[in-house]
Amino acid sequence: MEIDPLPNGSGSVGTTIPEAAATTTAATAALKTTPSSKLSQLTESLKLEHQLLRVPFEHYKKTIRANHRAVEKEVSSVISSVADVADCNEPSKEDAVLNLTSLVSRLQGLKRKLEEGSRTENLQAQRCRARLDHLESVDAENLSEWNNVRLKRILVDYMLRMSYYDTAMKLAESSNIQDLVDIDVFQEAKKVIDALRNQEVGPALAWCVDNKSRLKKSKSKFEFQLRLQEFIELVRAENHMRAILYARRHLAPWGATHLKELQRVMATLAFRSNTGCAKYKVLFEPKQWDFLVDQFKQEFCRLYGMTLEPLLNIYLQAGLSALKTPYCYEDDCTKEDPLSQDSFRKLALPLPYSKQHHSKLVCYITKELMDTENPPQVLPNGYVYSTKALKEMAEKNNGTITCPRTGLVCNYSELVKAYIS
Amino acid sequence: MELNSLKDAFDRVAKKQKLSFSKTQEVMDLIFQEIEKAIEMMQSTTFDYKSVLAELKKKLHEIAPLSQLEGTQKELNIALSKYPKALEKILNPDISKAYRNIEFDSNTVNQIIASHFYRLGLFDVGDCFINETGEAEAAVAMRSLFQEMYQMLEAMKSRNLEPALKWAAVNSDKLKENGSDLQLKLHHLQFVKILQKGSRDEALKYARTNFAPFAANHMAEIQKLMGCLLYSDRLQDSPYAHLLSPTNWDVVAEELTRQFCNLLGQSYESPLNVTIAAGVQGLPPLLKFMTVMAGKKQEWQSMKQLPVPVELDKEFQFHPIFVCPVSKEQSTDDNPPMLMSCGHVLCKQSINKMSKNSSKSFKCPYCPSDIDATQCRQLNF
Ligand SMILES: [Zn+2]
Ligand SMILES: [Zn+2]
Repeated sequence: MEIDPLPNGSGSVGTTIPEAAATTTAATAALKTTPSSKLSQLTESLKLEHQLLRVPFEHYKKTIRANHRAVEKEVSSVISSVADVADCNEPSKEDAVLNLTSLVSRLQGLKRKLEEGSRTENLQAQRCRARLDHLESVDAENLSEWNNVRLKRILVDYMLRMSYYDTAMKLAESSNIQDLVDIDVFQEAKKVIDALRNQEVGPALAWCVDNKSRLKKSKSKFEFQLRLQEFIELVRAENHMRAILYARRHLAPWGATHLKELQRVMATLAFRSNTGCAKYKVLFEPKQWDFLVDQFKQEFCRLYGMTLEPLLNIYLQAGLSALKTPYCYEDDCTKEDPLSQDSFRKLALPLPYSKQHHSKLVCYITKELMDTENPPQVLPNGYVYSTKALKEMAEKNNGTITCPRTGLVCNYSELVKAYIS
Repeated sequence: MELNSLKDAFDRVAKKQKLSFSKTQEVMDLIFQEIEKAIEMMQSTTFDYKSVLAELKKKLHEIAPLSQLEGTQKELNIALSKYPKALEKILNPDISKAYRNIEFDSNTVNQIIASHFYRLGLFDVGDCFINETGEAEAAVAMRSLFQEMYQMLEAMKSRNLEPALKWAAVNSDKLKENGSDLQLKLHHLQFVKILQKGSRDEALKYARTNFAPFAANHMAEIQKLMGCLLYSDRLQDSPYAHLLSPTNWDVVAEELTRQFCNLLGQSYESPLNVTIAAGVQGLPPLLKFMTVMAGKKQEWQSMKQLPVPVELDKEFQFHPIFVCPVSKEQSTDDNPPMLMSCGHVLCKQSINKMSKNSSKSFKCPYCPSDIDATQCRQLNF
């Protein structure tokens, strides 16, 4: 037997297993060869990550503000309590000492709360940092892994917005990306959404109070919509007196800005819930509650700096359009193309086709790009294949070419080169 | 990208938050001490407790804890408002600007997602998802399809090739038809594994029974592999050391995945993966267009073709695209690419225009040739 002393890989026929270097994916290999365009592409893609950085920051800011408000409130109440004790006309010494002692323990409690609050703040700050680090960590070597994580992040975002919390948590845990997704932020939303689905507005109203100034800034009328719904429920229950009292108290303040809607809802007092009049009937339909849920999600996303649509839908739309060609809906669309699948075709149907400025010809046989190095050649029947594929075919078959799509047989010498600019 | 300036902006926030925290603590300690001191003084008999109380009230008023906090709070607020502004400046604050207001059918999307999980071997996540959505059962078919593949891959991770070898043997004809030598690659790994255990006789026996069918087409590699037998007890110090690299297993696992998907009629990459990756590349030019053409928002909602070219990487090129160099339009069935006698290619409409509907010959825009429109041939890429 012949023994080869230096069997270093020899990829000539391709059975010998290539070495480590050869395993880098096509994407990273390209990254190394054309650094400038690839790098700018990478930079562009990182610019899409606003939500990733914004949401934990808004959460952090919210905690800081809430903690600070709590401290302010407690401190001023302690000070005014001291003043009360001091200003009291005839306090007994014992009472005064007792009062002060209770203030001391109150302060101790506040201190503990402050420390606890600071721990939460620090954890949230850490999360903000983890995200910055994550963006910084991407490079040529880990690009494909980083992209996989991105898709998982996008999927968790989708799950959370669609209220598939279990899947969101499972996916985040199993991929160890808890710091890169906003499960805890959505816990807050979950309470409100669950309540609205049970036709309770309480938690939603409490949420509005918590975020009053910011909702006001964005001119949100979500609270008004909640109030309207509560009013409708009173009318439905034929609780007319209470309905009127409620309207005076909670709806009237919105009169200046939303008079039309206000009047429309007030009119239900005259029509009742079994009204046949379409304009009012709709106000009593259960889908009004679904509408409130959607409305809440929008307000919630806006407040946290999220996109109003799930990230998944945004990327899917862009991706489907970029991939969609007029040929995708034909039978011979290759299975590697997502648009060869019915589900993807269905989603892409209302979307625009892609646009390209330059010809990009892929050889039907080798699936490789045909360019000046590997120019296209034309068979007598007008079918075009790459020089590489045709040469190989000719070598194997004594110079004969068989068109794989039509079965036409011809000679290699009958081919003509085509010049594509 | 200016990630560093973002980090700096965030560090400022964190620093000011720490400062504000310690200031709050300090102020609270101060109040705390004053009250404790007052209690102590009141309990001794030397002082009039009423004046002590009055003194405490005055002291606390002087400390003015809340206004003491104001300063650090103000600095914190400035940092808090600067960071999001930096985010908006450096990143794209709204990537939904190029979003078309069409509702995706959520059932279809969920089906795609469930299939994606199963394809990736995330069976638990996929099950959980189907459970939670109560739909997308259609994807369950994918589960059983891919379970077999992941069993083979899992086994390979613990260096057990039996399931993979069995599958390759059953599908040996189909693999050969696809031009894959996966079966030999698996035998190759097994052979080295046996050799690594130090049993040369067993390795030789294995080679004899399993390499023979591949002798015709792969003689050179088989010869090289047999060379290993010389070094069976010290493979890691031999010229064959690279055969021990764990990457070899990864490469074969990848080939196995590729062939398995291929035989199933499935794509190698998860289609969701491909689409999202294309979206990440396609979105930036679209967003740029939207910023420039803010007024065309309405038109965008009904456009049949993207308004700007979106160049995707080669791996997303699934169809040949011919763009006529004269009209800059993509060819269609009605306007196919035509080969002129000089070898240059234009689309039919351009040729019709230049030849005044084939009534006269014209000059090729790319070379000095005279072109007769009736002699042009339609191309099929
Ligand atoms: Zn296609
Ligand atoms: Zn020409």
